[in-house]
Amino acid sequence: MHPQLELLLELQDLHTQRRALQDEPLRDMEEAVFDLKPEEALDLLDAKITELVGRLDPGIQSRYLSFIGTLGRAVVPVLNGICYGCFVATPTAWSAEAGRNDSIGVCAHCGRFLYYVD
Amino acid sequence: MQLRDFFTLEAISLDLAAETKDEALRELVGLLGLDEKSRGILFKMLKRRENLGSTGIGRRIAIPHCRSLVVNRLRVAFGRKLPGIDFDAIDKKPVQHIFLIVAPPLEVSNQYLPVLGRIAQFGKEPDIPERLAQIERPEEFIALLEEKGV
Repeated sequence: MHPQLELLLELQDLHTQRRALQDEPLRDMEEAVFDLKPEEALDLLDAKITELVGRLDPGIQSRYLSFIGTLGRAVVPVLNGICYGCFVATPTAWSAEAGRNDSIGVCAHCGRFLYYVD
Repeated sequence: MQLRDFFTLEAISLDLAAETKDEALRELVGLLGLDEKSRGILFKMLKRRENLGSTGIGRRIAIPHCRSLVVNRLRVAFGRKLPGIDFDAIDKKPVQHIFLIVAPPLEVSNQYLPVLGRIAQFGKEPDIPERLAQIERPEEFIALLEEKGV
């Protein structure tokens, strides 16, 4: 897997975790069952996100920040050849080539980073 | 929705080799049959969640959980280590029973939260830690879920 794609995946997962902690039902469960302190957890997540964003290559970083800031999701899975950001089929040639996630691919339709899932 | 519908026999280990929390998380992730890179990313995300606060809920039970892009549907696994593993649990006691839950960021049927809630509810039943300790075969684990109607 491309190292920058791995970083992007980690960042997107952290953003997902962050969003989940702001979502009332899950936040309530995290507090009640796991004794989690949501505000402290959000601070820790923000620090980690800032650190990882700093490790992205400049071009990738600006695209990532642009999508996270506007649409909330910068990295989306490709399942059965479909981009799960915009639900438009990715070119067949791209899917075959990118199946190993060895390169950074973006959706030709919505522009998000693509992660191929088996 | 029944919990038993999410567990496969291959994702149940009644004798984890792990001696530490990290080893246990890796071993449980290994039960999901993902490729090596995905296993690594998933382990990292579970560790990040543990760093926010332990998922050891007490009474020798832990429920590590997270959402990640590396899975395409909700996946669960169960692992047991009878001598116990230090999980930094709420009650500071070693953990014997570990339920792993992972889900993609978006799910059509949105089962992540209900499954997490049901496992937490199951784990809080008074006889569950002892019953889980007595199980000898993965099929008995499934039967226990069915018996409890969760």
